[in-house]
Amino acid sequence: MHRYALSGLLILLVAACDRAGESASSLRTDAHSGNKTLRIAVIPKGTTHVFWKSVHAGALKAAQELGRVEIQWKGALLENDREGQINVVQDFVAQAVDGIVLAPLDSTALVPAVVQAREAGIPTVIFDSGLADESVTVSYVATDNYNGGAIAAREIGNRLDGKGNVILLRYNVGSESTEQRERGFLETMRKEFPGIKMLSDDQYSGTTPLEAQNKALELCNQFGDKLDGFFSVCEPNTMGVLGALEQEGLAGKVKFVGFDPGPQLVQALADKKIHGLVLQDPVAMGYESVKTLVAHLRGEKVQKRIPTGEIMATPENMNDPQIKKLLDPEQAN
Amino acid sequence: MTSFDTPAALPLAQRGTQLLRTALGPFVALVLVVGVFAVADNLQEDGGHFATLKNAQNVFVHSATVAVAALGMTMIIISGGIDLSAGTTMALCAIVLAWFLREGYPPSVAVTAGLGTGCLAGFVNGTLISLLRVVPFIVTLGTMTIYLGLGKMISHSTMVRPLPAQIPAWMHELLSPRVQQEWMVFPPGVWLLLALAVTVSAMLRYTVFGRHVFAIGSNESTARLCGIHVPFTRIAVYTIAGFFVGVAGLYQFARLTIGDPTSGTGKELPVIAAVVIGGGSLSGGRGSIVGTLTGALIMQVISSGCTSLKQPNHIQEIIVGVIIVAAVTIDQIRQRRLAP
Repeated sequence: MHRYALSGLLILLVAACDRAGESASSLRTDAHSGNKTLRIAVIPKGTTHVFWKSVHAGALKAAQELGRVEIQWKGALLENDREGQINVVQDFVAQAVDGIVLAPLDSTALVPAVVQAREAGIPTVIFDSGLADESVTVSYVATDNYNGGAIAAREIGNRLDGKGNVILLRYNVGSESTEQRERGFLETMRKEFPGIKMLSDDQYSGTTPLEAQNKALELCNQFGDKLDGFFSVCEPNTMGVLGALEQEGLAGKVKFVGFDPGPQLVQALADKKIHGLVLQDPVAMGYESVKTLVAHLRGEKVQKRIPTGEIMATPENMNDPQIKKLLDPEQAN
Repeated sequence: MTSFDTPAALPLAQRGTQLLRTALGPFVALVLVVGVFAVADNLQEDGGHFATLKNAQNVFVHSATVAVAALGMTMIIISGGIDLSAGTTMALCAIVLAWFLREGYPPSVAVTAGLGTGCLAGFVNGTLISLLRVVPFIVTLGTMTIYLGLGKMISHSTMVRPLPAQIPAWMHELLSPRVQQEWMVFPPGVWLLLALAVTVSAMLRYTVFGRHVFAIGSNESTARLCGIHVPFTRIAVYTIAGFFVGVAGLYQFARLTIGDPTSGTGKELPVIAAVVIGGGSLSGGRGSIVGTLTGALIMQVISSGCTSLKQPNHIQEIIVGVIIVAAVTIDQIRQRRLAP
């Protein structure tokens, strides 16, 4: 009897694979043969966050424009699973793809996998977060996070006319991109706004909005009566601080600048509870990464470092077409 | 009815057939899965990368961490228990290992500390289950977050990064798919896994302790009446399983070269799934090492096959789920047929 069950399973699998073949070929941007279709693996840090869906949209757009490029999009099964991401890179090396575009979950843990790809003749473009050893990669496509922190400092500094008390809430120990933002913010404050005093700049929010809210509430309790400005360095962190300021009745009074958009944060920007959001351009990240990699594969010279830009959205400029697009970037399905 | 369902209790010839029967089911499934993906991959216009040595190396390397932890889990499940803390213990062991390396201790000390942490964690699990008389599911649900918390405490909630010079070369090569000596085919970690598997399998099958493990899983009260020291056996099972989780921690560290407090979260599920796909029964008394290894490989083959066929993650997750349910169903049908 179990033989029947097994053959049933087999039929199921074959059916699944059949469908697989269909969808894969429909993805191919150029059906006519002739020149070889380049297969590019794009590996994000996670697959469910809106940010990565926008990166995916950008990558697909580049593939369509270039022609004869096929995007294979795959992340680790669990978000933040470094071992899983190494597996994905190694799988693509065995698949002998033509190139890899990778947002490394860790600056050192992914280095050996990228080296293995390189030894197999597969070049890698890094995006979003840096890799400790840049000599093994083709290019690094990312936001200038230091500058992101610097423009946040200028926004708060100018809104406070150069004097007042400000809090910086850090994100998490060891996160390279947010540490750059924190450094850019503090150094710019010190240099350009000597009249502004940092009430606190050594607290970490943790990775979830709830942890961030608790930490921000503690800070508000301690400094609430003399607080004039607040900078939070990424989306979950900004969500938490917004919640805390609302609870304490400080939202709108304290000049608050955050990082990255989200539906609730955009609404708060419209309500003037947030006075600035530093925006990155995930669509451009996916787009530029694929373009750069294909250019490299076609023998062109490419730049080692490609900034994708960062811009400040404020209640005043949030309806400009360019800003509007970044507040609600396109997404792949 | 109440007699022990252990292979060792049966006459030798019958024992052989039963071994074949339990191991054969998952193995047939593995061959089928490999076959289906190989054919489908070859039918693709740019395929032909699935059934290659390079990919086989990947599959073994990627399943090694789960498989080595599943050796211990097999013992636990045969004894009628479960260990939900295996994942976070794995990360805790990797953290301890990384911490000792970073503080400048020699690798031998760091590895011993990592493996010792695994044994200790297993010992605590077994002792709590025996002393508190709380079911293993609940105890290890609790220790799961305790060990996660301990890992975060030691690591200050961040990565523990030893300097590259502090990590010995053999650790880099332990599970690198770039095999240094070509005649070895697989990296040393895979061979170590197979050696450990043979050892555990022999222990379960041919030692008195092994029979006791089957006995308490088949019928605990009968086992007690027969004079088996149940708490002692249980604590020993969990401690030995902890050792294998420690080895899994070493494997994970060898691949990541950092200690990550969250790297084990959720990893207990593939470990349990490997045992179950391999014919282990969650009600105890049944399970085999060959089956477990096959189960771990099946999951990794599906993962690698889905990458070859350009399938997104959700398809892979659905197929693995179907396989788990199908494997257990087939197994039950077979058991019913075998029953007198």
